[in-house]
Amino acid sequence: MHAIQQQYWAVRDYLSPVLKESKFKEHGRITPEEFVAAGDFLTYKFPVWTWEKGDPSKARDYLPADKQYLVTRGVPCLRRATSLAYTDADEDAERLLSFGDGSAAGGEAEDWVETHAGRQSNADSAANPGSIDDIPDLDGDGAHEDEGLSSAVGNLSLSGAKVPDTPHLDDIPDMEEDLEDDDDAAAAPSKAAPSSNTVIDGSEIEVANGNLLQVRTYDVMITYDKYYQTPRTWLLGYDENRTPLIPAQIFQDVSADHAFKTVTIETFPHSGTLQAASVHPCKHASVMKKLIERMNAGVVEEQKAQRKSGSKDAKKKWMFRRASGNGKDDKPLPDDEDVEGMRVDFYLVVFLKFIASIVPTIEVDSTTAF
Amino acid sequence: MPVVQFTQFSSLVQPTFWHELTRLKLEVLKLSDASVPLTAHYSAGRTIKDRNTGQEVALGCNFTVGSESFDEKHSLPPFAVVAKGIVKNYNTIDEFKNADKRALFSQAADEIWDSIEKDHDASALNRFLLITFADLKKYKYYYWFAFPALVAHPLWDIEDDWKEAKEQFTDKQLLSLHGHLEASTTPYFLVRPAVAGDGVDIAPVEDYTSFFANVPTDSQTIGFFDPSPHPSSPGWPLRNLLAYLRAVHPTTTSTLRVLCWRDTEPAHESGQWKSRFGVLTGGPAEGKPSAVGWEKNPQGKLGARAADLAPMMDPTRLADQAV
Repeated sequence: MHAIQQQYWAVRDYLSPVLKESKFKEHGRITPEEFVAAGDFLTYKFPVWTWEKGDPSKARDYLPADKQYLVTRGVPCLRRATSLAYTDADEDAERLLSFGDGSAAGGEAEDWVETHAGRQSNADSAANPGSIDDIPDLDGDGAHEDEGLSSAVGNLSLSGAKVPDTPHLDDIPDMEEDLEDDDDAAAAPSKAAPSSNTVIDGSEIEVANGNLLQVRTYDVMITYDKYYQTPRTWLLGYDENRTPLIPAQIFQDVSADHAFKTVTIETFPHSGTLQAASVHPCKHASVMKKLIERMNAGVVEEQKAQRKSGSKDAKKKWMFRRASGNGKDDKPLPDDEDVEGMRVDFYLVVFLKFIASIVPTIEVDSTTAF
Repeated sequence: MPVVQFTQFSSLVQPTFWHELTRLKLEVLKLSDASVPLTAHYSAGRTIKDRNTGQEVALGCNFTVGSESFDEKHSLPPFAVVAKGIVKNYNTIDEFKNADKRALFSQAADEIWDSIEKDHDASALNRFLLITFADLKKYKYYYWFAFPALVAHPLWDIEDDWKEAKEQFTDKQLLSLHGHLEASTTPYFLVRPAVAGDGVDIAPVEDYTSFFANVPTDSQTIGFFDPSPHPSSPGWPLRNLLAYLRAVHPTTTSTLRVLCWRDTEPAHESGQWKSRFGVLTGGPAEGKPSAVGWEKNPQGKLGARAADLAPMMDPTRLADQAV
């Protein structure tokens, strides 16, 4: 069934026309050219992102051959998203953070609420990544069916049965051999003693709390989805022993609102066989539209203020600089009547912030470092 | 003085590697178990700040192979260093188990030593070896990496401890070094203060004699691209670099100033450099050293690892995930 569905998607993708006209502010969708422009900006600004060409036989002809998709590797993920579930008790832990520098527009510093401050994870073990229960089929009619569905979704357990299949390490042939004669005194113990250092090994952390923190890493890919005309995110995860994660483990790192709905395992479009977790892009356009509207308002205001004062505001955030800039040129904007607003180059930067809300513990959004 | 301890490589095999190996096995290699050349890469050691606790968490000394590793001329991510090696894929689990690992390992170690002894060539110092068995029906892959490292006798000692690089180098020097390495990322390099200006000059280690000819010893620095994230132990590649210098230039290398380069981005503000610096002293260089370097499995024993890709490859199991 799933295979047929994938075939259908492939055909649909093939038949749908390439978006030609840019209207990213109106509906949140972008053209392949804009995807490339936004990707160029992202890779320029944040070199952890790079363009890949993928499998040449799977190349999309509406994208340059060497710019088929974006990838960043080894993105750390310190905690499981399941441990972020928010309860009333957590509200006490909220902190107000002030990022205002006093000279912000209008002189008012913005306060942000930091939630989950100082929380320890609780549902944070590889042993219980949660079972994925069957979700009843949607066909059928009436409120009765809906009720059944909602209760079924409510029953989805995040701490349920054990994963049947963490790799059967017992199966590994017993191959411990006396290969190395010397006890190699110069080899650092694989788990460095954390005592004297400020840096501690990932496998060492939080042992004291009886709560092993597992540093997973993810390879994150962004492709262009021709049918939905938005970028699409793909995830490949590794555990702390660098063993590939199984789907149930990946779903631990997806926020509960999305884990069983929009994130699924699909064939990665730029490889013949690779399967990866993917965030389904059907709602991306509308969410991006909202996000862009909000940010655009801020950018337009900034640009207007800038033009009025005519001065070069040294404290501008990088976001509001001209995209063509390399961060250094503060050329005044052209003197046309309409301010330009946010440029499409920022699209992927905004997109990453959106993705970060779906996978809150995977630190994809490196843009906050600025 | 404390003994220098090195952080061993941790292999990271991207699933695309197994997909490519499967294809290669079915379409090209078939029943052959000849060794196939492989190009891996590693990059600088990274740590990440845990926002809950404020601690720096080390992210592993990763040694990465992917599908592109079979293509010798593939492009690398920025600030990554190439390592050449071979993969040997066996047809049955028994052949994999009974393979003469000692012979394979000493062959790889000998290649490293020969390139040092005979050719004075540093390009083969980070050679590696990978043996695999692919259980294609079950989507299971058994593998074992070896990163041969020549053992120094006596061991290297370090004066004081590893310190931050900025204690030895100025911001301008580190910035200029970053620029050099960004232009061409090399695994090993020599550093001296620039003849003109505030920066530094770098050169390949093969140019040791000419490059350091008129440089005072306390300005000569050996640099290497360090995959280790741990502040007090440099990465595995340093071992073979030290062996190289000791064997090729025995008279001048009993004390070495070593820079462990870990910065892929220039420091945003002064003092944020992650690179480490230390002064090492070693014993006399005599004859051919022994070598170690089989990777340990997650249980901490010398043994093979397994990657079970069935959950991500098996069509019947994937169907279960589909909503």
